[in-house]
Parts: sequence; structure tokens; C-alpha cells
Amino acid sequence: MRRVASSGLALSVTAAFIALVFAALVTVGVLIVTGYPPVQTIEQMVTYGSEPDSVVNTINRATTFFLSAIAVAIGFQMKLFNIGVDGQYRLAAFLAAAAGGSAFVAGLPPGLQQLVIIVVAMLVGGVWAGIAGVLKVTRGVSEVISTIMLNFIGGGVISYLLSPGRLAIREGNNLTTRPIGPDGQVPGIPFPDANFAVYGLIVLAIVVGFLYHAGVRRTRFGFDLRATGLSAPAALASGVDVRRMTVAAMLLSGLVAGLVGIPQLLGDAHRFALDFPVGIGFTGIAIALLGRNNALGIALSALLFAFLTESAQILDLNEIPKEIVTITQAVVVLSVVVVYEVVHRFGVRIQRQAVGRQLATAEGGAAA
Amino acid sequence: MRRNRFVTMAAAVCTAALVTAGAAACGGSESGSSGGGGEKTLKVGLAYDIGGRGDKSFNDSAYAGLQRVEKELNLEIKDLEAKDGETNADKVQRLDLLAKSGYNPIIAVGFVYTEAVTEVSKRHPDVKFGIVDSLVESPNVSSLLFAEHEASYLVGAAAALKSKTDTIGFVGGDHVPLIEKFEAGYMAGAKKVNPDIEVKVKYANEGSDGKGFKDPTSGKTIAQGQIDEGADVIYHASGLTGVGVIEAAAAKKKWAIGVDSDQYLTAPADQKPYVLTSALKRVDTAVFDFVKSVSDGTVKGGPTTFDLKNDGVGYSTANKEAIKDVQARLDELKKQIIDGEIKVPDKP
Amino acid sequence: MTSGERPVSPGETAVELRGITKRFPGVVANHDVDLTVRRGTVHAVVGENGAGKSTLMKILYGMQAPDEGMIAIDGETVRLGSPAEAIAHGIGMVHQHFMLAGNLTVLENVVLGAEKAHGIGAAARRRIMEISDAYGLDVQPDRLVAEQGVGQLQRVEILKVLYRGARTLILDEPTAVLVPQEVDKLFGNLRELKREGLTVIFISHKLDEVLSVADEITVMRQGTTVASVDPAGTSARELATLMVGGELPVPELRESTVTDTPVLDVRGLTVRTDEGRAVVSDVTFTIHEGEILGIAGVEGNGQAELIEALMGVRQPESGGIRLGERDIASWPTKRRREAGIGYIPEDRHRQGLLLESPLWENRILGHQGEFAPRGVLRLGRARADTRRIVDSYDVRTPGIGVDVDALSGGNQQKLIVGREMSGTPRVLIAAHPTRGVDVGAQAAIWEHLRAARADGLAVLLISADLDELIGMSDTLRVIYRGELVAELDPASVTPEDLGSAMTGARPEAPEAPDSPDRPDRPDGPEAAGGDAGEDTKDA
Repeated sequence: MRRVASSGLALSVTAAFIALVFAALVTVGVLIVTGYPPVQTIEQMVTYGSEPDSVVNTINRATTFFLSAIAVAIGFQMKLFNIGVDGQYRLAAFLAAAAGGSAFVAGLPPGLQQLVIIVVAMLVGGVWAGIAGVLKVTRGVSEVISTIMLNFIGGGVISYLLSPGRLAIREGNNLTTRPIGPDGQVPGIPFPDANFAVYGLIVLAIVVGFLYHAGVRRTRFGFDLRATGLSAPAALASGVDVRRMTVAAMLLSGLVAGLVGIPQLLGDAHRFALDFPVGIGFTGIAIALLGRNNALGIALSALLFAFLTESAQILDLNEIPKEIVTITQAVVVLSVVVVYEVVHRFGVRIQRQAVGRQLATAEGGAAA
Repeated sequence: MRRNRFVTMAAAVCTAALVTAGAAACGGSESGSSGGGGEKTLKVGLAYDIGGRGDKSFNDSAYAGLQRVEKELNLEIKDLEAKDGETNADKVQRLDLLAKSGYNPIIAVGFVYTEAVTEVSKRHPDVKFGIVDSLVESPNVSSLLFAEHEASYLVGAAAALKSKTDTIGFVGGDHVPLIEKFEAGYMAGAKKVNPDIEVKVKYANEGSDGKGFKDPTSGKTIAQGQIDEGADVIYHASGLTGVGVIEAAAAKKKWAIGVDSDQYLTAPADQKPYVLTSALKRVDTAVFDFVKSVSDGTVKGGPTTFDLKNDGVGYSTANKEAIKDVQARLDELKKQIIDGEIKVPDKP
Repeated sequence: MTSGERPVSPGETAVELRGITKRFPGVVANHDVDLTVRRGTVHAVVGENGAGKSTLMKILYGMQAPDEGMIAIDGETVRLGSPAEAIAHGIGMVHQHFMLAGNLTVLENVVLGAEKAHGIGAAARRRIMEISDAYGLDVQPDRLVAEQGVGQLQRVEILKVLYRGARTLILDEPTAVLVPQEVDKLFGNLRELKREGLTVIFISHKLDEVLSVADEITVMRQGTTVASVDPAGTSARELATLMVGGELPVPELRESTVTDTPVLDVRGLTVRTDEGRAVVSDVTFTIHEGEILGIAGVEGNGQAELIEALMGVRQPESGGIRLGERDIASWPTKRRREAGIGYIPEDRHRQGLLLESPLWENRILGHQGEFAPRGVLRLGRARADTRRIVDSYDVRTPGIGVDVDALSGGNQQKLIVGREMSGTPRVLIAAHPTRGVDVGAQAAIWEHLRAARADGLAVLLISADLDELIGMSDTLRVIYRGELVAELDPASVTPEDLGSAMTGARPEAPEAPDSPDRPDRPDGPEAAGGDAGEDTKDA
């Protein structure tokens, strides 16, 4: 039995590996076809990507990617497709930044300030995603539709509030919330020879990762969540309140989504302005898929995506379109899905064969 | 097998998203830099805001300046684009990369580079930086600012003079302060020549994520809506979105007013006659002048405002037939602004 | 090819299978199967659930390719790569679950996908009526499929196959969804087909039926053919012995263990669909400690809804449910389960298992409270208890870490039964507890039920197996159109009596089931959905 189980893990790793190799081959192929030297290109990326600044940036980017992917993965566990992480984290970061820059929070002792900001972000993210959950169970609205609509609405809310006289101040051509004071910031972790520091809240991401893993695997809630995702009728019959789980899963997904912008907000930007990053929620979907909803897998995938995005910076400077990296990322995701499916079937066969051997040895066993 | 379908769908959606993002970014990325031979004393670097080349207005105008630099000053040039979802750290890195690779001067296009320029200019005190549309206080940074509202004022006056219905339109990109500046000037100019004029104002995107500057379809829809409401001159300050505005106006044989670069020159032949004028924002001039000042050693840090007085902004007269009957009035207004007799508001 | 062509000479071999072997990883499918079917006969293939009948038929119908062996049709060796090729060779299949579109008419259903044969207009209608008249199928081409009863639908399926030119018909467990009166009519049709020179391969495990209709019988056991017998010279008993390779277990209760203590008390339970139709109306019964209450009924007469209401999955409109002294009508499913209601669901794949999860996780399913008393799962306990079930219920598996998907249906069912009988439940709601289970497991499950009953378990037993119902029930009620219409004495009732009670006990109308059977109505059987799970796992 242990052999069968451990081979399952081995198969997953193999699948990811095959997919990566395949994606690398496709990328090399595209490079050759478009007339760029593949070896040199990859060499450039690796060299640039391993500079201290790039490493720090990669880690920081991966931190945000990771949180975003975990938020998506929570929904995935239940086959809920939260494509609204983007709107959730932006709205959450915005309101949290506004709260953090307010006189009230600035008057709180350090430590409490950060806590208030983080809690506000989580609540906003949770509520925003929770709306989609409630709509789904009460009105049957697909969460795919509602979360994407909420992205737009969230964008509208931000632009409405991000204007002078409301929650923003004007700074040249930029609009921004009042900056969070030094007592509300989270200092970075210095990295040798780098101009940047690693986000202090990488710790938060790690904690979220562990909680996610333990929560999904080791708690009743996680069991109910997965059971509902695997078979809603079975979960229902087993006593799971599927409607409540739907809302709870969306809420949780939103709580984590609310955190996505926070490491950057508290560690670097200290305010929410027009140029706050967009699109991380969508990258999160790809990373959650690539990481097979597994915390460690997601962490590694986030690092890979962050590294690719980061090291692509050098390409433009050398006349190679950096969109090549987008191709690589897309191919990785596609091929991991395909390869995993193939490998999964292979795994099922192995299991069936094991069952077959068992039956063969159990003398006179009818197949039934 | 339900699981499979779900995963497949998820994969399809997110791959599509990735590819779309990639394709959009691909738009203007054929490398057009570092041509020609000969001695190249300076390497000029330029970093765009999201959107990059191919927006037919703001960024393209910067690129035009860069090309002039390449041709007339015979310098090596390099332009880099931003990508979706990037943080300030990415911008810092981009500028830092250019600086480290020996580019000097470096021009950052767009106010989103404010912080990055502030930071990187400190790190590389010997490199000259230029930043468009933002004020950065640093000895080695030249801030290239524009009086967009002044140019908008003139085209607003032109629109009001040409309108037969006493109704004109304004289509903005994202609803952000920069674009409100265009709106304010336009409105003031229109009201100046015709106090009873009605100005329909609509932004392509009430958000601030840049979508409003790359959505020609909604530009077209908005312009059609304004025409249906009686507008017969429409001014846009919406980047690529404006392509749709011009198209819609031309289709209904109404006037369109371009922005940033002279869109009479870039419009398709059948639409040209309907491009009344354009509010010029000479980012190209600004870029060129800045590089030239670096190259001949006369550069000085601090802000430079490009306005009507120094021809950094203006209105286009390329469509001679259309503009000639109001040109005199416009030039009169222009003079009044230059002389300080008219104070153009920069906020609505 | 059309069925209008007359056979060359009746009696010659229509279908011959030699040495057919089909290996599926893990499950015994077919090995060395030999089968000879003569033209113009009804040839029955009998065997237990899981003996490999369905796999064999899928091979013959081109749905699966054999690993070894030879198929000959009319003496000519063929390769059947798809059902289309099988039909081209004159072989058609009537599936156990009807494949009809409810909102189309009979005519439209028949021509759907066979438009090339006779178009979709008058020619098609003419042809349909020809076939219908020739074999006494009695179909009405312009009626909506959704308006028709199970028996009629089955005839539409047969017509569909004939319309496509089949001359050999495979009928997979055709009687499983029929009440006895309809079975007779079906057999009449089969004789009609035979008389016209067509060949019928009839799959069943109901021996009495087989003996009454078949000309020849082939018995399968554990994936292979073990005997060919002449129905005239054999008995049901002998056939059964051949089928199981030994004595057939008999469902029976020894002495009564029924007490006076009511455990599950249901009063006036009414369930309506969203559209407001009553699917369970005013159902009242009491199950005492140590009592098994059997509920008989044609599938789709409200059994599923009744069970769902009892489990709290479906909200009843009115009525009281008491568990012991407590009113549980407003309780959520979770609380009911934790209060000691075990549940063996009707459709184990959908409702009973997480197919892609390992055995031990499935052990937790439905018993989350037991393994996570404070929210944290106790994986060790779950694994240990799964091992206990695997041992005591003889679940054949290489380990508790394999996905349930890899197990055969019978072993899955044993896992479910083991799970639901764990933790000394007070009430067990058992829907088809031995469906699709091999003989050994069936006997074991019955034995476990008896033992639990002796310990005071109250059981609500719903089954399509009338012998099981009669043998295992202390009290026997009949459900018809959502109402409990009759109470029978299991000690004296015969399957025939029970069968006619199930049709609503309207003896003057043998066709009675046809009208209540409307699949679109909640008070009729779900024609296509019934009997799910049976025999699907022997491939």
C-alpha cells in the first residue's frame, strides 16, 4: 500500500517534470523558428535572473503570486472558479491602504497598525468574494460570471474612491491614498548585495501556505471542502451543507485574496496609487493549476513564474521579445494539465493492476 | 471525469488570458532601435508605461522623438516596455538595467515612473534622467511637463466654433487627473467662444488600470452615443481608444479632434477629412530637446514646462480646409494665453 | 441492410464467439469465452452480476475490442471496431438504460442519427409502422417519449435498433426496469421477433424469466462461459448452481427480533417537487428496534425522495420524523447522521463514495464527526478502522491507500456497508444494499444486517430484488406513486403477488403501469435513471 501511495507522489513529480521539459522544448523551438539563439537567450536569462536584485524581486513577486494562487486553489478544491482574485486583492489593498493612511490607524501603536491593515484587507477580500458565494447559493449565479463582474465593480469602486476629497490625495499626475507611516510598515529582510529587501511579510505567505495545507488535509472543514469538490451529491449525503461550504469557500478564498497586495503595500509601496500592480489574480489561476492545488507545488510554481517574468526583463535589452516568456508560461500550464491527466490515468492503471493481483491471489474471488 | 473537464476549462481560460496578455504586449515590440552606423557617443534609453509603442498618441509620440534623436543626433537608442501587473520594483529594475548597461540619458515616459526615477536617479548620479508628465526633484532629473490644458483649450474653442448643433463631445481614457486636465481645458475653451455650448463628457474607463487607453471598440460606442445626442465635434484624450472615436465620427461625417500627435497624419485616408485638428502634446519635441541638451552639455535638472509659449503644445493645422475659417480666432486665443490674459484651468 | 431480408435458413449460426479474452487491469472481465447463437432463436446469457456478461456484449456490439479471440457473424469473421460497424453487420443493442430524448417524439427519436436510411418524413413513418406492425411493437410515432411508460420506451428502443437494420438484437437486462405484466408483453415481442427470423441475445440473471423465454442458455461465471444448457432439461436451481458454482445464498430472517421500542417514527411525510407535485405523500410508518421494514415499489415511485427526506437532504413539505424520543424533522443531515442514522445510498458512485479518494478517506465520508471530533481529522484512526472494515467485510483491495475507483463495484459496496454499520447506528437506511454485489458478498451483507438487527438495529430496506425484500423484511410495505398503499406479510407473500401490488394493485388493467410510469412525472419511475449501477462494474 505504501508503495502505491508513494508512487502517486512520484507520478505527480514526474508529470510536472515532463511538462517543464516539454515547455522548455517548445520555447527553444519558438526561439529557433523566430531566429533567436536559444542557448544564449536562456543563458542571459539565467545570468540576469541570478543577480541579487533579480533574486530579491523574484522572491517578492513569488510571494504575491503564491498568495494569489492559494486563494484560487481554495476555490479549486471545491471546483469553484474564483477568477475574481484580481478585483478582490486590489479592492482589499486599496481599502487597507486607505485605512492604514488614516489618522486613526496612524495613532495606534506599531504592530497593531499592521494588524489592522491586514485584517481590513482580509475582510474586504472576503466580503467581495463572499458576495459571489452568496449569489451562487441563493440565486444560482455562476461564480465565474459574478466574480468577473465584481472585478469590474471593484475597479469602479476604486476609481470612485481614489479621487481627491474621498480617499485619495493628488500627487502630480498620480492619485494615491495617504501613505502608511513608518510605524505601520513592515521592514524588509535585507539580502546581500541587493538594492531591494525581501518583503517582511513573506513570513505571512509561508504561514498561509502551512495553514492551507493543514486545513485542507487535516481538518474536517478541509475534508468537507474536498469532498464537495470531488462529488457534491456524496458530500451532501454525508452531511455536508454544500451551500454553506460554497459560501465558506468563497469567503476563505477572498480572505487570502485580500492578502495578495499586502506584502507589497506594507513592504514597499506604503500606499495605494494608480500604479498599484494589476493582473496578479489571473497569474494566480495559472500557478494554482501548475501547482496542482498543492501548497508546495504552488510555492515552486510561483517561484518559477516569478523567475521567468523577472529574467525576461533582460531580453528586450538584447532585442529578444520578452513575450517569449509568456509563451513558456502558457505552455507550462497547458502541458502540465495534459501530462498530469495522462500520468493520472497511468496511475489508475497501476492501482487497478494492484487490485487485480490482489484478486488473483484471493482464491476464487468473483469479480463482481 | 467531471474533474477533468473542470481542470481543462480552467487551463483553457487561463492560457487564453496569458496569451491575450502576451499578444497585447506584442503589439509594438518589433525592435526598431540601434540602426545606422557611425560614431555613437551617447546611448539613449527610454522606458514606456504600459501600452508602449503603437498607441498612436502618447507613447508613439515619445518614440517619434527618439527616432529623431537617432536620425538627427546619430545616437544609439533603446526602448523598453512595461508589462501588465508590474510593481514599482520592476520599473526600478528596468531603469537600473538601462543605467547599468551604459545608457545615458534615460527617459521615463509617464508619471508612473515617478518613484522609480526618484530612486534610480539617486543610485546613478552621473546619469541624466528625463521624466515625462511628472515632477521629480533631483539634480540629475529633468521633468518634462506639459500644459495639455492649454492645447485642449484651443481645440475646445475650435470645436465650439465649428459646431452647428451647439453640442460637442469629449471622450477620455481612464478617469485620472491627467486626462481631467484635457477635459478642463477643452471645456473652458468651448465655453469661452460659445457660453451656451453643451459638452458631453464620457470616460472610456472609470477605473484607473489603463484599460481606457486601449479600447477602440468602446471609443467607437461612446462617440456614436454622443453623436446620437447631437454632438457634431468630438475630442478624445484616450490613446488607442481614440482610433474608435475618429472612426465613429468619420462614419457619421462629424468632426473628430485628435490628441498628442497629429492624428490627421495617422488616420486612414477615408477618415482624414473629418479630423478637424489635434491637440498636440509634443512629447517628441520634449524628448528630442532633452536628449539634445544632454548631448551638447547644456542640460539642467528641474522642471521644464512645455506650453503654448514654447510650442511644446499646440493645435494642428494639417487639415487646412477644415481649420482655416477658425484659425484666426484660435491664434488670437493662443496669443491671449501666452500673454497671460487668459488663465486656462487644469481641473474640471 | 434491412430486417426485411429473410434469413437464408433458420437454425444456422448467426453469431459465433470463440476464445474471447478481454483483460482489464484489476478486474476479471472475459477469458476464453465461447458462444454460439443460432439464427431465429432467443439465446439467453445468464450469470451473476459481475460474471462478465456486459463486457461480452460490449465486445459483440463493438464498444470494446477483445484482446484475443474471434467473432464471426453469419459464418464470416469480422472485426467490430465501433457500434456503427456492429450495426452494419446487423447487430443492434438495446441498453438497460434507455437512450432516448424525452422532448422528442418517438418518430424523431427513431430517425435521429439514422436519417440516411429513410429520411425523416413520410418514408420513415411508413417504415416505422411496418416494423411496429410486423413485430407487434405497438408504437405511436407521434407521441412524445417523455409521455410514455417504461414498457413502451423499451419497445421504442427495440424499434430503433430494428430500424437501423439489426437482425441480431442484444437486450441487456431488459426486465430489470419492468414489472411482471410488462415482462410478459416483452416476451411476446421477443417471440414475434424470433418468428420473423431475427435473433435475440438476452442477458439476465433472473432465472425464471430466462427459462420461460429462451431457446438456449449459456451460463457465465467469473468471466468465462461455463455451460450451455437446454432450458427444457434444466431447472432454476440447477442454473443457479451453475451460475455461482455452488449453492445460492437465500435471504432469510430466522427468529423475529422485533421489539416494542420505536426507533424511527415517520408521520404524514409529504415531499413535493419544486413544481409542487407530491412525490411522497402522507407516508406514515414506524420501525422498531430490531426490525427490518422493507419497502417495495417500481423504481421512481418516491423511494428516492422518501430516503432523501429521511436523511435531511431534501426538505419535506410536511410531516414528522422522530428518532427515538427526538423530533429530527428540522435537523440537518449532519446532525441526523451523528445521531445514529446510517445510510447506504441508492447510487453509490454519486452519493456514497469519493471515487478519486483512497479507501480511508471514504471511511471518513459521512462520519466526519466521528473522526474529527474537534475539527481536526484523526487520520490514524480512520486508517485503522478502514483496515478493520477491509478485514471483516472482505473488501478485496491491495491496501487502504488505493483510490476507491480502482475497486470493483461489489467491493465498493462492501466498503459502504461496512462503513455505515460502523459505530453502532440506531437506524440504517439501506437502498439496494446488495445491488451489483457478488454472491459471497451478498450473503455476507445479509448476515451483517441480521446480526445488527439482532443487536437492535432498525433498518429501512429498499430494494428492487423482490426475493431480498421478502426474505429480509420483518414488515413489508408497498410504495406506489409516493404513497404507502399496501402492507404484506413477508412470510406468505410471493414475488408475483408483490409484483402486482407494486403496479398499484389494479388487476383489471394489466397495462396500468404504462400510464403511471411516465418518466417526466415525479410519481412515475425514472425510466432512464432507474437501476443505475447494476452490472456496470463487471467490465
